[in-house]
Amino acid sequence: MEKILNQEKLREWVDMLDDCEVYAPAFADSVWNYARIEAGTDIDLSHTNTIGSVKEFVFPQREVFFRFEKKDGVPVLTSTLPDPKPTVVFGVRPCDGRGMPRNDTVFNKEFEDPYYWARRNKLTLVGLACNQPHSPNCFCQSVGGSPHSEDGLDILMTDLGDRFHVKGITVKGVEAMERGRDAFDAVRDGDQTEVEKVHDTSRSFPQRPLDNLDAIPKAIRESFDSPLWADMAQHCIGCGICTFLCPTCHCFDINDEVISPTTGEGERVRTWDNCQFPDFTMHTSGHNPRADLGSRLRQRVSHKFLYFVENHNTQQCTGCGRCITECPVGIDIVAVLERVSQ
Amino acid sequence: MVNVEEIRDYAASLLEKEEVKAVLGFRRGSASAFAEPCTITEVGEAASLVWDPTCLNNLALYLVKDRKQQAVAKTPDNRPVGIVAKGCDSRAVGVLLQENFFKREDVVVIGVSCEGTGVVDSNKLSDKLKGKTASRITFSGADDINVSVYGDETETVIPAQEILADRCLECRAATPTLHDVVFGDTVEARDFNEPFHAAKEAESASEDERWATWEHHFDRCLRCFACRAVCPMCYCHECVVDSTTFVVTLGTSAEEKANRIRWCERSANTSESAVYHLTRAIHLAGRCIDCGECERVCPVNIPLRLLNTKLEKEAFEMFEYQAGHDIEQASLLSSFRDEDPNSFIR
Repeated sequence: MEKILNQEKLREWVDMLDDCEVYAPAFADSVWNYARIEAGTDIDLSHTNTIGSVKEFVFPQREVFFRFEKKDGVPVLTSTLPDPKPTVVFGVRPCDGRGMPRNDTVFNKEFEDPYYWARRNKLTLVGLACNQPHSPNCFCQSVGGSPHSEDGLDILMTDLGDRFHVKGITVKGVEAMERGRDAFDAVRDGDQTEVEKVHDTSRSFPQRPLDNLDAIPKAIRESFDSPLWADMAQHCIGCGICTFLCPTCHCFDINDEVISPTTGEGERVRTWDNCQFPDFTMHTSGHNPRADLGSRLRQRVSHKFLYFVENHNTQQCTGCGRCITECPVGIDIVAVLERVSQ
Repeated sequence: MVNVEEIRDYAASLLEKEEVKAVLGFRRGSASAFAEPCTITEVGEAASLVWDPTCLNNLALYLVKDRKQQAVAKTPDNRPVGIVAKGCDSRAVGVLLQENFFKREDVVVIGVSCEGTGVVDSNKLSDKLKGKTASRITFSGADDINVSVYGDETETVIPAQEILADRCLECRAATPTLHDVVFGDTVEARDFNEPFHAAKEAESASEDERWATWEHHFDRCLRCFACRAVCPMCYCHECVVDSTTFVVTLGTSAEEKANRIRWCERSANTSESAVYHLTRAIHLAGRCIDCGECERVCPVNIPLRLLNTKLEKEAFEMFEYQAGHDIEQASLLSSFRDEDPNSFIR
């Protein structure tokens, strides 16, 4: 389904989704991030990219698996499987959209994760094509994506200045558009040409190049023992920014959080974990197979550009550039891949 | 004006004369318009050093990292290290010396005066550009900073005072007090903000307002621990908020490891993140030299500096103590004077 939506009708459409939780980018605390939208008037799609990615909607940083307590000396478990309201997220950049099928693979291939899918099945992603890269660190095209990629999105909107071209891609997407009813206009002659022109222009902007993407896995494998990794991680501080903000990083830890030791009440909780933290690989013996930051940088890059390619035939990186832009010391995954490939 | 050539020449001569094994400095990077840290070990690399208001990092962190690495190295290289340091960074070196992390002769401080300006605050810049990226930041003199916005051909001129970091606006010692050499003019008189201006302003809110503000911020914390990781004073091998025992020896019993007390759960929620940030702030009381790194690196922009400067304000008002200003002075928490206030003893 393809429709035209005038800029001022966007609010109307959002208001008609009143039985859903609607999220859209908002600029607060000096940064764009997704925020709950109470009314259509709150929507502002002038954003660059959000600091957090859409993975947070399906893989929240804290997921309670179940509650436990002791009743008459017997442990009792209570299910906490999420049952969220249908959720619509506006303003999703195509790089984040492309992250989603990668996450789906991880949470589906060997084991269908009920917590992930309970959220995923209720989630509708409304993408917004990037008419031009919003950061010099964008490299979606270098990893097989595009500024108007539909991959992983339910709807793709393209900004045509005074109006949006809106394309329903999935059943969920078409349903969300049908709910907008009269807010939409039919596509007229010339609209299609204009969309193509905007898309063509958006692809013409220079992006950070990755020469010979197919040769990267081999290059990484061959440089496993290279001193380059330690050199490139020389100024790494070992924080979790790169992976926590990444739209495809999905490693987690599971802990029991005891609320009351007397009643034995507590929760089993899944939280994000991070290959850059020392306890990620630390053994009980005290031995840590990835004791230094070089080996942890190698792991992050290898997972995305070697192991994931071997296991799932695609990179686990969609070129959003967050890990580059937000790194406090300028570690740049594109530069890292360039050096490894040399 | 600081002549960057002088810094390069000095760094090169230190390396040439083998007075240091490396010089920590700034260079242009590929990731952003801000300078990135570098460690140069060859004379020829000195030419890549830069100096301008985009040199944000406190490089003292890497002195700490080096010491830690040498401590476990099979053949430790304990030769001195040179460090390019702003006024605040030099105070970090000062605190590390006070705490005997290394000795004075282990470090050559290449002081650089901020000359009455300071460094650009990336959050203030983001506010000005509404999240857009600066592709180039240049300093045109004492008053203005020129910013080229990515994807936009125009250059924006922003009055320096509007985008300099709060710590720079409040700075009392823009010229490194601890140094082996200083480049740039000594500028003491500053007419930006009074010391602790931002902390005082935050204090003036009501208790309810303050709690609402911090609840909002702690709730947003991702617990990426970048604030802790970037802090040169957070050098503990094992942190109270870590969920794992890191310092494990052959003598550590299984019980000890299994029964590690969790003061702070891994969950990033308001209560746990409050415990983390408040604990960290308390552990830095009388030690924080206000380099603002914790606040700069925060990906969700929690104003962490306010917590630390609040405690430094207490240290200053109650004990006339300023962290890192005098390396001969005993550190705040390990010293006692007869005139110290003791109203808390009843």
